[in-house]
Amino acid sequence: MAFIEISGLKKSFGNQVVLKNISFSVEKNEVVAIIGPSGSGKSTLLRSMVQLETVDAGSVAIDGEYFIKDGRYADSKTVKSLMTKIGMVFQQFHLFPHLTVRENLEIAPRIVKKEDASIVARKSEELLKKVGLLDKSDAYPGKLSGGQKQRVAIARALMMEPEIMLFDEPTSALDPELTGEVLQVMRALVKEQMTMLVVTHEMEFAREVADRVIFMDGGEIVEMGRPLTIFTNPRHERTKLFLKRVV
Amino acid sequence: MSFDYFNMIIRPMLEGTKVTLLLFAIVIVFSLPLGFLITLLARSRFKIVSWLANGYIFVIRGTPLLLQLLIICFGLPMIPGIGEYLVLPRFTAACIGFVLNYAAYFAEIFRGGLLAIDKGQYEAAQVLGMNRWQTLRVIIIPQMIRVTLPPISNEAITLVKDTSLLYAVAVPELLHFAQTAVNRDFTIVPYFFAGLIYLIITFFLTIVLKRLEQKYQFE
Ligand SMILES: Nc1ncnc2c1ncn2[C@@H]1O[C@H](COP(=O)(O)OP(=O)(O)O)[C@@H](O)[C@H]1O
Ligand SMILES: [Mg+2]
Repeated sequence: MAFIEISGLKKSFGNQVVLKNISFSVEKNEVVAIIGPSGSGKSTLLRSMVQLETVDAGSVAIDGEYFIKDGRYADSKTVKSLMTKIGMVFQQFHLFPHLTVRENLEIAPRIVKKEDASIVARKSEELLKKVGLLDKSDAYPGKLSGGQKQRVAIARALMMEPEIMLFDEPTSALDPELTGEVLQVMRALVKEQMTMLVVTHEMEFAREVADRVIFMDGGEIVEMGRPLTIFTNPRHERTKLFLKRVV
Repeated sequence: MSFDYFNMIIRPMLEGTKVTLLLFAIVIVFSLPLGFLITLLARSRFKIVSWLANGYIFVIRGTPLLLQLLIICFGLPMIPGIGEYLVLPRFTAACIGFVLNYAAYFAEIFRGGLLAIDKGQYEAAQVLGMNRWQTLRVIIIPQMIRVTLPPISNEAITLVKDTSLLYAVAVPELLHFAQTAVNRDFTIVPYFFAGLIYLIITFFLTIVLKRLEQKYQFE
């Protein structure tokens, strides 16, 4: 069984079917880019993996343990322990505006994992250095640029030491000149062999870092394969159309 | 006006001010948490609970505080059968009335404050593994305080002045002693003193609240 194993995932909002029958798997250390037109269900797919959406049917297993099996969720203890393995970064950052950058990083390890203050402080310093924002430790998020906010959000997720990182259009809310600094932080994660699922419109980035690309449209996976294949030689008409429009 | 006269009337008025401040403190301490609880109940998934909480807010805000005080202090003891068990010390009864009343106003303010908080805050907290209580305590409530401090400050200032309603249920407070002096000495000077004392209280309260608002600016 693969590191992440998703099969037959279905999800509707009212009578709108948003995920039709999603199946794929992700190996450890693999980087998967998910592309597709807006409204195709990409966010819903990621959100379902961290229980921000409740699915109607299907299975999700992480590291051999079922989080959802045939539409039924595991007991809350299992769910909770599996969720700690996954970090998520949102398009709109969702930093905590009433906490400083450092506090944003430290709050979850402190109260969720009950980690020691000195250990948490060391970790946050290290991560802030890594995303190049050590000098912003005591700033409030309101004072940061979009690119800085997203780097803080990534560092915040990493504080929980996840084994999988989900990115939902991490650069879509940024001014074009600020996307580079965020992508650079993500590249560093790729180098560290983080398992990543990245919903993105940055085709260049996807082509460069992804091991595999999934193209979604209308709630289903239309095509899935190596970036080179998807981008230069897509098999499906829908993929071709989409790529023609975005590139 | 002689210094002696000033001395004579100021003493009971300061005694009355103590009652006024005590009531103010009690109402703030109890009605804020109670108000927040009512807000949470009003948002409950259980229809009956949210219906009751909303009904409570509707009734309390839709009727005069004075009427509510009269009912608690004089009305309840008149209920046949159980009335005799509902006779409370007058100050206690008034405190209960004020707390119940202000809780409804604060509940309404908190409701707006919670609506102002982005859904993404809950989601980010959840993905980081926080449970509901932790999310509420460290993420939601501090942000709600920032949004609601200005309207809460308004209510607090109003409360200072509303304490004079104690006069109507015969609890001796600041205004009561002023009125006594006016009746006895046939001068309106005590009214001015009373007004001055209310002003001093609201002045300092405003300063404290502004400080608090600054502290919650997160900048
Ligand atoms: N909470 C929701 N309630 C109702 N419809 C939703 C909700 N979230 C998403 N949808 C709908 O589901 C579809 C897929 O949305 P989404 O997963 O956000 O797509 P994408 O991320 O690919 O743009 C869209 O049509 C969207 O309107
Ligand atoms: Mg989306």
